[in-house]
Amino acid sequence: MTGKIAVIIVGCALFATAAQAKDHPGKEEILKDGYQGPKTCEACHPGKAKEFLGTVHWKHASKIDHVDNINPDEEHGMKDRIYTMCNGNDIVNNLKEVPPNALGKTKFTGCNTCHPGDHTSDVGSTGPQAEQAIDCLICHSSKYDFSKRKPVKDKDGKVVMTQDRSTEAAANIGRPTIKNCMVCHEAAGGGAMIKRGFSMTKEAEVHVTKGIICVDCHKVKNHKFPTGRDPNNWAHDGIYMTCTGECHSATPHTDADYNRHTAKIACQTCHIPKTGGAFSKDFTKWEKQSNGFYEPSTLKREVNETAPVYAWYNLTVKNTPQFIGPKGSRSDGKSKIYPFKIFQGKAYFNKKNGQLLSMDFAPPIANGDSLAGVASAAKILGIKDYEPVPGWQTIYFGSNHQVSPKNKALSCANCHALNGVLNFKELGYNSKEVEKLTNPELYFEKLLKLQQENE
Amino acid sequence: MRKIFSIVMIMALMLFTSLAVVKTASAEELKMTGTITKIELAADGKSATAVLKDSKTGASVTITITDDLTLDKFKDKRIVEGDEIRTKYEKSGDVNTSKMFKKTAGC
Repeated sequence: MTGKIAVIIVGCALFATAAQAKDHPGKEEILKDGYQGPKTCEACHPGKAKEFLGTVHWKHASKIDHVDNINPDEEHGMKDRIYTMCNGNDIVNNLKEVPPNALGKTKFTGCNTCHPGDHTSDVGSTGPQAEQAIDCLICHSSKYDFSKRKPVKDKDGKVVMTQDRSTEAAANIGRPTIKNCMVCHEAAGGGAMIKRGFSMTKEAEVHVTKGIICVDCHKVKNHKFPTGRDPNNWAHDGIYMTCTGECHSATPHTDADYNRHTAKIACQTCHIPKTGGAFSKDFTKWEKQSNGFYEPSTLKREVNETAPVYAWYNLTVKNTPQFIGPKGSRSDGKSKIYPFKIFQGKAYFNKKNGQLLSMDFAPPIANGDSLAGVASAAKILGIKDYEPVPGWQTIYFGSNHQVSPKNKALSCANCHALNGVLNFKELGYNSKEVEKLTNPELYFEKLLKLQQENE
Repeated sequence: MRKIFSIVMIMALMLFTSLAVVKTASAEELKMTGTITKIELAADGKSATAVLKDSKTGASVTITITDDLTLDKFKDKRIVEGDEIRTKYEKSGDVNTSKMFKKTAGC
């Protein structure tokens, strides 16, 4: 059954690749008339620009009903969140030119650098001007010239984001490739592979090895992207995805013992044994770089270098100033054990109300003064009554990518040996149960047989 | 005869030791941050050289890049001249081979 599914998946992927290689209808017209932005796309795809303005990719926000201490009637997300991986958001870190550093150098920076508009029409903007500002090609072109997309000052001194609207880029369009997605998604949080720490390469992710690309799993419908349930990824387009369903069955293993585990263990737990990227940051301490600019001090690891932590997760999220992570328990009947990339960040909290404060990065990038960044952010947000005190926040990121090949997945002893990766006591099992769960009787015969077969 | 044998053995040992030292030195891993002043892609697209101006010393260092991910970033100009790069590279004689080549800027 699993083999049959794999054949179907690979078949679909090959078909998709073939479809991608074929010219997009309308290429002749584009070559003849040139590309005039979204209105060229809308000649064949009417209404798509307006549709896109209603998605998380444009709004960086949505209504959120699975996270504690968030009003479910309001829209929130990257637009206005404050947490310690980024400690800023699109509002306080709106794309801008930072003040000159000690060497007289300046540069552009902002959380909304990846927003697919032109910055004049920015996060959450609406109307005909916003529709025509969409950078369709950054997601759909395989010949996008990224040197043409950069922040510059226009004649009025306003910072705008330029785009590649060349005929060549427009003539080479199709479904988004892995590269189209990773241009933005690999660089979040302060550099390549920092935030989530996964790599979508053939070497690192078994789906890519099989020719499967991001949008084969994140099956887009009307520009709305299904997402997984990362406890730190709040905004969503209203559709979710799981491993099981179209691609994998609920009992995908040939081994009945493994299939029994799927009731309480998420697929990711065994099949994504490693994570990577930054595991700690200190926004109160900025380090001077050789170019004279400052960066928040960050402890980081390479892709696949960090062991995840494991916890029960019922797909709802505990959200306090000190902790963002999974809710759930062994006994609630809804939770499964999932792997998480754990991250701890230090930033300033408001002593007057205990809330985490945000930081405008422009001042500390220029001179390392993190408190000036807090003051600037407070001014932008209209916060007058605050007293910044440093403190730590712990965040659990979902570990949902970088699926390893079958032979590298966790096996019986990886969890059930005494030095296994699961801490059964912390997961809610009593001493007697832990003793049973870590008894070699559970797996010895099975693993011995496997060992004999492989010798 | 025994003396000649001893001399030959000592010389062989010295040669082996010096080669080992050279090999260790040649495999030295270095890191730097610098601005790209020139990128040259090989005609077959399978390698490239980038000249970086070291932000600390101002010296120009030529790095050879062979990993597909970085080469792709040169081809579609996600990395261009003027970008600031953080790199780790292996120095072997006159050739510096990139082990990591990333833009310093995030978002």
